Formats: sequence, structure tokens, C-alpha cells
Amino acid sequence: MAGALRVRASKHLLLWSSLGTLALLGWAAYAENRLQEWRVAQRAYRQALPEDRRAEFAVQLRQVVVPALDVADRCVSCHVGMAAGESGLPGDPLFAAHPDVAHDPGSFGCTVCHGGQGRATSRADAHGDVSHWPGPMIPAADAFAGCGSCHTHLEVPRQDLLERGHALFERHDCLACHRVEERGGTQRPGDAGGMEGPDLSRAGAAGPLPDWHASHLRRLEQELETAAGGPWQSSFAPLPPEERALVDIYLRSRVGAPGLVESKALFHSLGCRGCHPVNGVGGDDGPDLTRMGQRDPGQLDFTGVEGKHTLDGWLREHFRAPGRVVPGSQMPDLALSEEEIDRLTFYMLSLRRTEVPEAFWPADRIRAERFGQREFATDGATLYGTFCAACHGPVGEGMRYPGMPAFPAIAQPAFLAVAGDEFLRQTIAHGRPGRRMPAWADREGGLRPEEIDAVIAHLREMSGVPPPPPDPRPRRWVQADPAAGAPLFAAHCSGCHGPAGGGGEGPALANRALQAAATDTYFYETIRRGRHGTAMPGFSSPSPSRGTLAPDEIESIVAFIRLWEDTP
Amino acid sequence: MSVHTGREPGPRPSRLDPPTLPRRDFLGLAAVGSAAAALFFALLGMLRLPKAAVLPSPSRKFRVALPESLADGEAFIPPGRSVALFRHRGQVRAISTVCTHLGCIVKPDAGGFHCPCHGSRFDRAGEVQKGPAPAALPWLEVRDAGGGVYVVDAGKTVPPAPLEQA
Amino acid sequence: MSSSRPLVAAASTTALGRFLENLRRLPERFTASVSRGGAPTTDRTRSGFIFGNVFLHLHPVRVHRWSLRWSTTWGLGIASFSAFAVTLITGVLLMFYYKPYPDVAYQSIKDIHFVVPTGRFIRNIHRWAGNVMVICVLAHMARTFFTASYRPPREFNWVVGMGLLVITLGLAFTGYLLPWDQLAFWAITIGANIAQSPREVTDALGVTAWFDPGGLQKLLLLGSEEVGAEALIRFYLLHVMILPLALAALLAVHFWRVRKDGGLTRPEDADLRVGPGEGITPVFTDEPHKTYHLAAVVPGRSPAVGRGPERTLPSMPHLLYAELAVFMLTIFVCLALAITLDAPLKELANPAVPENPAKAPWYFLGLQELVSFSAFMGGIGIPAIVVLGLALIPYLDRERAGTGEWFGGPGGGRLVAFSAAFGLGAVLAVEAVAIGLGWIREWWPEAPQLLITVLNPGTLLTLLYALFSVAMVRRHDSTRAGALALFTCFLCGFIVLTVIGSYFRGPNWDFYWSPAMWPGH
Repeated sequence: MAGALRVRASKHLLLWSSLGTLALLGWAAYAENRLQEWRVAQRAYRQALPEDRRAEFAVQLRQVVVPALDVADRCVSCHVGMAAGESGLPGDPLFAAHPDVAHDPGSFGCTVCHGGQGRATSRADAHGDVSHWPGPMIPAADAFAGCGSCHTHLEVPRQDLLERGHALFERHDCLACHRVEERGGTQRPGDAGGMEGPDLSRAGAAGPLPDWHASHLRRLEQELETAAGGPWQSSFAPLPPEERALVDIYLRSRVGAPGLVESKALFHSLGCRGCHPVNGVGGDDGPDLTRMGQRDPGQLDFTGVEGKHTLDGWLREHFRAPGRVVPGSQMPDLALSEEEIDRLTFYMLSLRRTEVPEAFWPADRIRAERFGQREFATDGATLYGTFCAACHGPVGEGMRYPGMPAFPAIAQPAFLAVAGDEFLRQTIAHGRPGRRMPAWADREGGLRPEEIDAVIAHLREMSGVPPPPPDPRPRRWVQADPAAGAPLFAAHCSGCHGPAGGGGEGPALANRALQAAATDTYFYETIRRGRHGTAMPGFSSPSPSRGTLAPDEIESIVAFIRLWEDTP
Repeated sequence: MSVHTGREPGPRPSRLDPPTLPRRDFLGLAAVGSAAAALFFALLGMLRLPKAAVLPSPSRKFRVALPESLADGEAFIPPGRSVALFRHRGQVRAISTVCTHLGCIVKPDAGGFHCPCHGSRFDRAGEVQKGPAPAALPWLEVRDAGGGVYVVDAGKTVPPAPLEQA
Repeated sequence: MSSSRPLVAAASTTALGRFLENLRRLPERFTASVSRGGAPTTDRTRSGFIFGNVFLHLHPVRVHRWSLRWSTTWGLGIASFSAFAVTLITGVLLMFYYKPYPDVAYQSIKDIHFVVPTGRFIRNIHRWAGNVMVICVLAHMARTFFTASYRPPREFNWVVGMGLLVITLGLAFTGYLLPWDQLAFWAITIGANIAQSPREVTDALGVTAWFDPGGLQKLLLLGSEEVGAEALIRFYLLHVMILPLALAALLAVHFWRVRKDGGLTRPEDADLRVGPGEGITPVFTDEPHKTYHLAAVVPGRSPAVGRGPERTLPSMPHLLYAELAVFMLTIFVCLALAITLDAPLKELANPAVPENPAKAPWYFLGLQELVSFSAFMGGIGIPAIVVLGLALIPYLDRERAGTGEWFGGPGGGRLVAFSAAFGLGAVLAVEAVAIGLGWIREWWPEAPQLLITVLNPGTLLTLLYALFSVAMVRRHDSTRAGALALFTCFLCGFIVLTVIGSYFRGPNWDFYWSPAMWPGH
């Protein structure tokens, strides 16, 4: 019965395949209906609810949908306490209500601020800690970096004023009554309820600051009349106007993003924009940082990075030693403290610039993108800190980074005494082609004329050297014979400036921008006086190793140097 | 015509005079039965798919700023929403403008609301006056968010609040 | 019953009573009307079960015992069809949620994965059933070839089968774009440029300006210069409408011709080899004394008349159980794959950041390996030669020996083993040279493109295989021997190139011994 045997085998195959299929289907149904993480979480939430509310709580997918932002965030399927119509359970971080923030998560969604994968419904996928998801969540410690998604042009004040304002705020004991970013504030005694003074965490975002000083004074007088003493007498005293202005700067920066303004102010004091453009403003020597906070960790090279392969880990390691993380990096090792590294990492994470409809743009972004307002303060100190400090040093003392040519000390009195404002203006405006000094006026995202003037004023202020007296002579007044200057240049100058003026230890003299900016007086005086603190000696004073140069010799050298302007 | 009996006697069996099969084929029944069960179970799973677990509709709660010039009792319809807002004796009230008949959008007029689709009319309190609409227009929850901004929750109804002519 | 319901009994003489009686008997009559013949308990009713059912009547009523042996087909045709049925059903379900527009498509796949009830499972099944279908179709073709089942009268059905193979690959390829992720986007970009690769030749000849079939092909495929919304909607249309309809139409022809061409192939002496069998009632007496009217009016070869006693069994239950078993087994395999492996979904497609390496679906990686030498030859020239050569086999091999036998024909299994050895050796040698020493461009940078198009590892390999095949024809004095050699060689080449393309090629299509050695990971 070969046929019967064969049909028996077929029946067995059919039976076991079908039973296997049935088992797989059963397992799939079980996994889908019982094992999904959000179901487990919601069952736990329901269990934690008070008895009378359990019945009305349904285990179901929940989401926040904001069509205008293209948001469909299922985060609230596990973080049920933040879902519409639900209330948080205190004590459990998973089920807690959302902390009070400037924006209602129900109208903006979750991922706009926090990153991650909103459409996902399992923990690893949603938090973005999976391959093939380019935007994992911003770490909780840096959560306020998410503000940068929309607040791309958050205005920052000058860093040292901000710090002084903050210090004054603390020193004058404002925290006795007011609460700022989870610190300070006093409950009213008795059953009056509420805080003694309003929470100032978002004082800067709530519109123009009221005239708080005058109203505090009035209140103080009233309190002194009615009650004897109280917190008003012990905590408040009139402030001098300049201190009031500093406290105002601090208060205006309280916009509900703790730490972000401070981090951004730090960035704008270290001269980072001298090389890196952000939002189209800054040098072009380094990578554009506009969307640094959105870099896909999957596309980063982690060979030089220890620890977890996250964007913040990469950034931190990169700030510690740029060359180790990015081989061949032109970025100098800035010798930052760990706290500064934390802050800069925080600011980098905030550089997100998500595409959102213009209706969602905050006011400072519109002011910056549509009306060209700067997102940083435009006083000379901040501008210097923003664009110049990384290379020329925080106080213009010049920098020497390993493996890079020295950057000139531009606040040096010897230099500023011979360099007129017009020379400085020309130099800043047109840079030094061939060297790392960019032409700041010639490019989009550079400095504006009044900003260049502010930087020059700041240089003068730092060094205390006034501009040299106006030079009555024309720019090119030297009439000497360049042929006489050639051997002198070869003997005295070519060692540092190169035989053809191409530069070496000293700057290149055969540089078109330098030649265009410098007057003959500038060259003459620089050769005569030299530069203190650099290898450039003053040739009018004798030294053990060489003699002095006579004025006509210096003039002939200037004439020789000028050949490079005439025949570049 | 019933089917029964085995082969009839004859010299030469042929296809036209076939033998009966053994009737009790447990293995065959089990195999076919489990295959049918598996396919049926799969069908049940597949039938679940078309019913969406989440809907792409946005939150029904929204913020709205009323124009300063809005007179008492005058309807304001925020763009893109099917809700009419009124100022009424210093308060703000919101009523749904979705007809309770078949979901057309009703239009406010002097006497209340009228529906262009099937001619339903509602008075200023939302009650049906004529036409096929089976129920009154629902009043919605409004919360004052301060600064002239109000939060309307179109998902929450409140008891009707008649708007008398002031 | 009637005594308990006198009203009905009394009324049964009236029209209303008859109506109520009809109503009472409705379930029983409905059940009886569903099946035409009644329970399939005798050979007669079992025959009726087959030809009285619209879905089953494509089957013969009785089937030869040779055809029922597992080793005759290994059920590969039914498995291919089953996988197609699975992809069809799951594909229709996915269409409930899929939105064919860039970026939105990706989001809809994410939604299917995360929030659609059973969506993730259904998508996984669809993906893996598609792969199972490709494998089964290829194996089915190999089985048909190695058992020499393409021979007359089945030549045309072999050609139809080639069409089905091409459509199957087309379905799989068009489906690849739909998720709109990086994997999809760059695979399709490459695919579209392969379609454009005849330009390699027309450019070299300088005639592209007025004769540009490559550009036309790409334009027709993408509807645009780049892969974008236009391409996506075209691929969607092809994937859910044009190709499935074409496949269904050809499938009907394929099945119909299997029946009309006399069922499965079997050797001339199959009757003798399976023996009479115990307890099997022959259908025909030894001396047929009956003619069949149908046989008399249908021209051509008739499947039954004029033969001796057949060694056949009723299709119901023997064939049906086997088919149902293979059907369920295929479903089981697809489900098991779907439950263990998620269908891939990478980052959202980003036209600015190419995937590196950008790999096509696995069944095209052999071609992609050849494409890395010459886009035109690898992507169009050699595949066209292979498909054309395969389609022509039944018209060029007109021998009879070995029909219906595994590796049948002169040379047999030994020839196949020898050909496999040669095929593997040749492809490995050519790849070793190309990977280790480079090719003409590396040796002679100014080499004209036409030279490389004509002479590259792919064409060299094809030439080697062709020469080997000719040698086998001469040695065995048989075209079947040549066909066996050629088919085996190409099969080995396909497998080796696919493995190299899948596992040994990394970023920039460089050779790596394992993916773990790829840089940057």
C-alpha cells in the first residue's frame, strides 16, 4: 500500500505543520496582547491607582498628536501620568506628571523637546537607543537642551554681567522670598498659603520686567508702617542703579531653561564662533555647529571615545582632547575644566534647529532670522569673546597651541601703540589671506562695521592704550631705495619672516591684506620699537647680538617690504 | 440519493464500481481540522488589523484668543475648528457647531444656528427648533488661561447655558 | 414534530404552510447545496469532489503514483504558490495603513510596526514570505531543469515559468522601495541606474543623443531624474497592481498548461518502476474498449487514451493532502521566520547621505557584484543572456533521454558534479583575480570604457562557462549534457557571487573577510 503510506505521511506533515502554525499564532497573539511593554506599564499604573478609579482606566495606546509639528508621540502610552485626562502618580518616575514647564506637552508633543522616537511603543525604540534611529533622546540631565529645537536664537547677555547679576541676586538674599529654578522661596507663615514672593524662574519669558524696585520700595514702606519688621525689613533694602541693572540682566535671562543661557554665554566668551558658524554667523575654519545637537551617534567615529556611544559622551571626550577623537582636528585643546565641558556639551546638545512652521517660531528667532538681530549681546566684550578669544586669548594676550603657529597678542600695548584704529579695522575686516584670520567684513555671517568698531574699542579698553596720534603723512611716504633694503632684510628679517616674506616664526609680510592695511608708519614704527613679548626686537635699541638700524636703513627695509604690495 | 454500500460483485472491478473508503480517518480529520483551525485563527488575527488602535486626530483641546472687538453675544469661530465662542456677561462660552444629525457644520445666524445640509435649526441655546437633528448642540468646557486666552476642550461637554439677549 | 406543532402540519397544504416548511428545512437544504456531489467517500464521489469545485477542478481527478513521490517535485511549485498567496493576503492587509508618499510612507511603516494591531507580525510575514517565494521559485526552476521537465510538450510552460520568475523578482524588488528608508532608497537608486546602464554602451558609441534606451528605461521606472515621490508611486503601482495581476494571469496559464501538457513529467518507464501497487484499482482495463468523447474532439496528444493500465490514485485524498501539507508547511516557515526576525527598517531615506555599502536585496547581490565591474554587462547584458538562454533551452535540447529523472540525460549526476566543480572553481578564480589584482582600469587607467564593458570578470566568466558547456556537448555528444553543464555552472556562479556580495563586500564595495572588519563600526 505505497499510496496509502504516502498519504499517511502527507497527513502527518499537514497535521504537524498546522499545529506548529497554530502554536506560532497563539504565541504571537499572546505576545501582542500581554507582553508589550506599554501594556505591562499601563497594568502597573492601573494597579497603582486608587480603587475607585481603576475601573474607568482602560489599557490602551495613548498618544499626543500635533499635526502642525508632524508629531504623533506615543510616549504617554508608558508615561501614563502625562497622558491627556490622566493624573500623575507621585513617587514613581515612570508615572509622574510632567513637571511644570513653559510649554504644555499636550500641545507640543514630547519629541520636539526631548528627541527620541515618538512613534515607537517600546522603551528602547522610543528612547532611540537602537540602531537606525538617528535622534536618540537628550539625556535627562541635559533635558533643557531640547529648548534649542525651536529657540535657536535664544538671546544671551554678556557673560560676566550675567554672572555678576546672579551673584548680586544671591547676595541680596532675593531667594529668601522668591523661588528660582527649584531654589529658594519661603512658604507664607500660617494658613495664608502660597509663597512669600512670586517664582521668578520664567521672569524673563513673561514679557517686559515690571519696575520691581519701585514697587518693592513702596511695599517696604507699607510693611514698616503696618507691621513691625517681618521679612521685608530683614530681606529687602534699596539697590544702587548699577546693581539694579545687573539684577535686571539676570532676571531677563530667566526664561524657563535653567542652565541654557549660562552655557550659551560661556560659548560666547570662549571665541568658538571665530572658527565655527552657528545659524550662519561665525568663521568657516571649523565645522558648522548649527545642528550639532542632532548629529546621529551612529554616524560618529567612537574609536577614540571610551564609555557609552552617545552624542554627549562623544562631545565631552572631544572637548577634553579634540585631536584624539577627531584625528587631524584643527581645533586646539582649550584646557577646559570639567564644569565648562559639561556646559559646552549642554549647549552643543541644544543646537538642534528642528524644522517647525513659522507660526511656532519664538520671538527671538523671528527677530534674528527676519530682522537680523544678534542672538548675543553686541557690546565689544561679548563680541571679542564670541569671535576672537579662542585665538587671541581671553584678554588679547595671544595663544600658543601645540602644533599650531602662534596667534598674535593683539591687546599688547606695543602693538596697539603703533597700530591705528584704521589698521585694526582693515585687518579685522579683510583678515589675513593664507592664515587663519578670516576676513570678517567680507563674508556673510561676519561682523558688521559698528561691531568691528566695538571690538576695537574693547581692545583699547583692555590694554589701556589710546590710539596713536593721527599720522599727517600719507600711507606710503617712504621714498627710500628698496635695493638698499634687500640685503638688510636678508640679514635682519628673513630669519623669522622668510627670505621672500612668506612668514615663519614671524608673520608673513608678503600678504596682500597686511600690505593694504598697513601704513609705512606702521612698518617703520614696528621695526623701530619691536614687539614686547614676541621674538620681534626693537631695532632702534642695541642688543648684544646685533647692532641698531639707522632711520634711513629702516626706511629702506620698509621700501623693500613694500615691493610685495606693488608686485604681489 | 444516499451514498452507501461497498463494491458490487463483478469479475472486473473498475472505476465505476469503486470501493468505499474506511470511514474513520482520525489522522486525516485531525490534520484537516488543525489546518482549518490554524487558518481560522489566522483570519481572526487578520480581521483585527483594520481597526486602528490609535487615531491620527489631534488633541481636541485648543487655545484661542478672542478678538478684542467681539461684541457680547456675537459668535466667533476660530479658524479650522468647529466651535463657536461667545462672550456672555463677562464670561466666555463655547458651543459645538457640528450638527447632531449627520455631522455638517452649522452656521450661526440671528436666531441661533442653521444647518445647510438638511435644514435643521437650533436656537441660541443650541436646542433643536426644527428639522431632523435628534439632539441639541453640546456646550463645551472653556477655561480662562489668562491674558485674553481661553482653552476650549471640545471633548468635554458642560450643561447647556442659554444665551439670553442682554 | 408535527404533532407538537399542529399549526405547521395543518398549514403545510397551504402556500404559507409550504413556505414555513421551506423555512424549517433551509439549513439542511443549504448545506446540501454547497457541495455538488456529497461526501467524498467513494472514488466516484471523490472525483466529483475535484471537478465539482471551482478551486480544485484544475487538478486531475486521478494522479500518477510517480507524481506523488516526494522526490519528484519536493512540492516546490505549490510552495511557491503558497508563499505568493501569503504575500497577497498580507499585502492587501498592509495596504490598509501604507501611504505611498515620501517620508509619510516611512512613518506609516513605523506605525504598522508599533501601533497597528498585528501590523508588525503581518509586515514580517509579508517580508519573509516574499523571500521564501523567491527561494522556492528559483528552486522550482532548478528542479524542473534537472529533471528535464521542460521537454515537449512542456516547452512553452517553461517559458511561462521564466516569465513568472522575472515577475517574482520584480515584485520583490518593487516592494523593496516602499518602506522609504535608507536601505530602500539607495537600493532603488542603484537599480534605476542599472536600468540606465545601456548608456555605458551608447555613450561609448557616441549615439546617446538620439538613441538612449537606458535613459528611457530609467525615466519610465522613476518618472523623474531622481528617486522621489514619482518613483514611489510608480513602484507602488507596480507592486500592488500591475505585477500581481500579471503574475496571476501567467500563473493561471502555468497551472492550466501543467494539466493540459499531461501533468507532471515522468520517465517513459514510470509505470513499470512504480509497479502495479497493492490493492489499487486500475482505471483502464488492459485492453481499452472505450473511447472518450472529449479525447476525440480535442486535437493533439491526449493524456490517457491508448495507454495500458495506469498506476494512478485518486487526487482526493492523495494529491490534495500532499498539497495542503506543503501549503501549511510554507505558512509555518513564513510565520516562524516572522516571529523570530523583524523585517529590516533603517533610517528615513536621506538623499544627501548615501548608504555605504548600499546593498540591493540579497537575490540581486550576485548581479550587484557583476555590476561593480560593468553596470551594463552586470545589470542588463549578462542577466538578459541568462534569461534568454534559459528560455531557449527547451527549443535547443530536443533529446528524450532522461526526461523526468533527476540529473537525467547523458553524463547524469557525475556530469553535474563535475560542472559544479568547474563552475565554483571558475567563479572563485575570476573573483580572486578581480579582488586581488584589480581589473583593466587598475592596470591601464586610460582603457576605453567599451573594452571594459566587453571584457570584465562577468563576461569572462560567462565565456568560460559557455566554452565549458560546448566542451561537454562534444564530449557527451549531447545537447542535454551541454545544458546540464551550463545550468549547473551558472547556478554555482549565482550562488558564489551572491554570497560574496552579501558577506564579503563592505563600504565602497571593498572586499572584507567579515562585516566585523568594516571600518567605522
